[in-house]
Amino acid sequence: MTSGESLHKRTLKYFIISSVIALLLCITLHPCYAYDLANRVKEFTLANGLKVLIVERHISPTVSLYISHDTGAVDEEDGHTGTAHILEHMMFKGTETLGTKNFTEEKRILRKIHGIGNALDIEVMKGETADTQKITNLRKQLETLQQEAGKWSIPSEIDRLYTEKGGGDLNAFTGQDLTSYHVSLPSNRIELWARIESDRMSNPVFREFYSERDVVMEERRQVVESNPGRKLLEQFLAAAFIVHPYRRPVLGWTHDMRFLNIDYTKQFFKTYYSPNNTTIAIVGDVSPDKTMAIIKHYFGKIPPQKIPARSITEEPVQNGERRVKRVFDASPRLIIGYHKPALPSFDDCVFDVIDTILSEGRTSRLFKALVEKGLAVDVNTANGFPGARYPNLFVIFAEPVSPHTCAELEEIIYNELDMLKKEPVTPEELEKAKNQLRADILRTISTNSGLAGMLSYYGAVAGSWKYLTTFQDLLERVTPEDVMTAAKKYLEPRNRTVAELIREKG
Amino acid sequence: MKTRWRKIITYCLPVIGAILLTSCAWHGAPMTDPDDIAYAPLCFDPPKAERVELENGIVLYMLEDHELPLVNLSAVIRMGSYYDPPGKEGLAEITGTVMRTGGTESMTGDQIDETLDFLAGSITVSVGTDSCTLSMSVLEKDIDKGLKIFSDILTCPVFSSEKLKTAKILEREALERIHDNPQKIAFREFRRLLYRGDPRGRLSSIESIGKIERDDLLAFYRRFFRPRNVMIALSGDISKRDAIRKIKNNLDAWNVSGGPEPLPSPPSHVRASLNYIYKDTPQSVIVIGQPAPGETSPDYYTFEVLDFITGSGGFRSQIFAEVRNRLGLAYSAGSFYSSRREYGIFGAYAMTKSSSTMKALSSITTILDTIRDRGVESGGELAWAKESIINTFIFSFATPGRIVMRQMMLEFEGLPENFLTRYTDNIETVGLDDLRGVAARYLTGENRIVLILGNKDTFAEPLSSFGDFNTVKTGTDNEGN
Repeated sequence: MTSGESLHKRTLKYFIISSVIALLLCITLHPCYAYDLANRVKEFTLANGLKVLIVERHISPTVSLYISHDTGAVDEEDGHTGTAHILEHMMFKGTETLGTKNFTEEKRILRKIHGIGNALDIEVMKGETADTQKITNLRKQLETLQQEAGKWSIPSEIDRLYTEKGGGDLNAFTGQDLTSYHVSLPSNRIELWARIESDRMSNPVFREFYSERDVVMEERRQVVESNPGRKLLEQFLAAAFIVHPYRRPVLGWTHDMRFLNIDYTKQFFKTYYSPNNTTIAIVGDVSPDKTMAIIKHYFGKIPPQKIPARSITEEPVQNGERRVKRVFDASPRLIIGYHKPALPSFDDCVFDVIDTILSEGRTSRLFKALVEKGLAVDVNTANGFPGARYPNLFVIFAEPVSPHTCAELEEIIYNELDMLKKEPVTPEELEKAKNQLRADILRTISTNSGLAGMLSYYGAVAGSWKYLTTFQDLLERVTPEDVMTAAKKYLEPRNRTVAELIREKG
Repeated sequence: MKTRWRKIITYCLPVIGAILLTSCAWHGAPMTDPDDIAYAPLCFDPPKAERVELENGIVLYMLEDHELPLVNLSAVIRMGSYYDPPGKEGLAEITGTVMRTGGTESMTGDQIDETLDFLAGSITVSVGTDSCTLSMSVLEKDIDKGLKIFSDILTCPVFSSEKLKTAKILEREALERIHDNPQKIAFREFRRLLYRGDPRGRLSSIESIGKIERDDLLAFYRRFFRPRNVMIALSGDISKRDAIRKIKNNLDAWNVSGGPEPLPSPPSHVRASLNYIYKDTPQSVIVIGQPAPGETSPDYYTFEVLDFITGSGGFRSQIFAEVRNRLGLAYSAGSFYSSRREYGIFGAYAMTKSSSTMKALSSITTILDTIRDRGVESGGELAWAKESIINTFIFSFATPGRIVMRQMMLEFEGLPENFLTRYTDNIETVGLDDLRGVAARYLTGENRIVLILGNKDTFAEPLSSFGDFNTVKTGTDNEGN
């Protein structure tokens, strides 16, 4: 359900950042894979528009809780890339009642910090014509004020509360399309979750904004700047999309990140984290009635917001191959992508099948042609990249085994894609792919967090979790001819972007 | 290494009261103090896995789980890279890979792949330092087919030469590609430094992989694969009776003599060193580590708490709070503690922009030295750590799959059966004096390994300001012993 680019993951206790994971886009409930989701999901909508999905599962006294806001990096205006992501970081800084010794006093200083911070950014942005003395003075003032604010704040209070009460998997994800907050708790602690989450959905306080900007810059150095695969991916997306916001990194462009703005971030929060733009999914040892009573009590009074019509530029049709090369002191790697429609189109579902046929398991076509033959150390494909809500890409990632080259791999990959266009897949191969798609879903929903994550994901991205059942019907309908038709229509050289990493020192 | 053990047993939190819905208005009016929320009691008596010993000596743990039509099975075998013959580092890993891909006496590797993929089942092998895990996940309707393949892979793999050739090519390329990942290089070299002179510190290289032949795989397999060196954990949508019967049908006939492989001896003495690896990268990697108590040590529980407070307990832990939150020097910073029966490793780490390397390093070492010299000064910090560890413990029993695996691993690691049941009680007794004593004993400078990866020319302060660093030449092709 996540990809390195579309969904940015933040784990608290581990330092290893997940690399590109194929986007899991489907769910289905074939008889052999039975799980009566349709009857197990209880759906509620509060007066303020907040959607709540609950599934009871009494295996152990634990519960997994997801809050997904129907917003992400796509909603940032140019010049403000990285806002959705720093907002996610700011949401851990506390509220007017969590993380302060005296909010009245603290607020006074935070206001000053805010003013100095903005003045500093304006001066630094002038570049060479900036007044360096002024910058030094402002920095000094900012530092003094930050120390003063530190006297009133209690750092990491939200983390402390969750950790102390047995919270696990405390995570937040910012993607192109949506932003999610997740925690697992002992099931008697739901009220703690409601207390914290409803408070930060209403009254978050953006403490430590400027030092957190430094932290996200470090995050970028860690996951992009020192990572050849991610660096290449960034160039690839910027080439594959000319105007659609999917061309921009979720973390933001370095320049924008240096000047992330607190006022803009606050406005972004106010608009898009509103209850009418939010889906909550809860799976575990809970009683729906009691849980809803708590949710109504805590979240019911948050006012809805008017969400502006989204003016997102549609990506024009690509008529001609695009190629980018990125130099890095690292082994070669290759990314190839094709434009395709978004869900809930039938073709999107067909691409889930194509995705599976090409790279799922040791008998998938690309694995056999490249990895089994010792030509590539790894090959992967992803449908719905870097997001799923808007027309997106079908992407192929490959890493050649030395001394083989990206060019050799490209040729073999194109041959395999041509096969899809020329010959219908056999009924067995199609059935294998459908079996794998069904089983993937089953394994994902086998954990509370997997099921809750999936429900809130589709609730936000597809408009309703019921897309999971719609998908089942679509998948059953896919025929060998559909695969051939879609391959012919989309896997065309003129619809393709290719990115190659070339080894070169410094 | 094993992940953090958490507790077991009847999980009963003190009864405070029923859920109270206090009134609260939105802006301005006072809200419930989250520390005052009252919680209903949480009582949980986790199901216990059933233990069965087959006639040939295989130990089986099993637990039913009928939530979804899936069956999961894991066999754990005492083998691993610890046992790699000198000069042939990587043999355990390659043996595991080719067991899975190289076919069995009844099916070729390709037939196995076809069958499993069509059933949307999976069988994977993972090889660690001193254990190897063969895992299977299949739909309930496919258990017979899956179990047959699983058992054949375990008992009669044939290690086809062709698949060995592919495995070696892929392994060599994977080693080459480690150079592209600064964190991987750093943690790999850290391991080598920490375990200098010990089999755990001998790592695979292009050269050692090149020397591995099919006969080596066969000999390695024969050395470790026998019923008494295997334990199996099974959970899923199948009755205990059926599960036991099916396992017996498939594995009863496997008779190879020999007992369980003894646990490898703990690593030898570690000598302190300061080490530097050159890599021209915008962000340096800092790793600092040293030996720590094993799970049977009386210091184990205290060390769990110590590690939590130092850097593994999330935002509030000291390294995270200082290096990331207060100084904004890193996105990832913290500590880790992994332990085995007889020994453990403790480490701290941070990734920071090149210019702030020395600042982050000194910040971390100051935290470690302060804890060593003065312990943890605040009782509040200790209470927070203990409560957190104890309250999270229930997630060790969140699913039948986890329960059955935990129980089996206790026996596999030779730990007492009540190890988990007493875990929370043992954490509860840890006091400030214990922390002080344990910190002083283990966080000593005498065996601390410090490793910096980066480009020292771009550090704001000279590397030498910290002491004399050995320059470590990395490489996956120039080492060996």
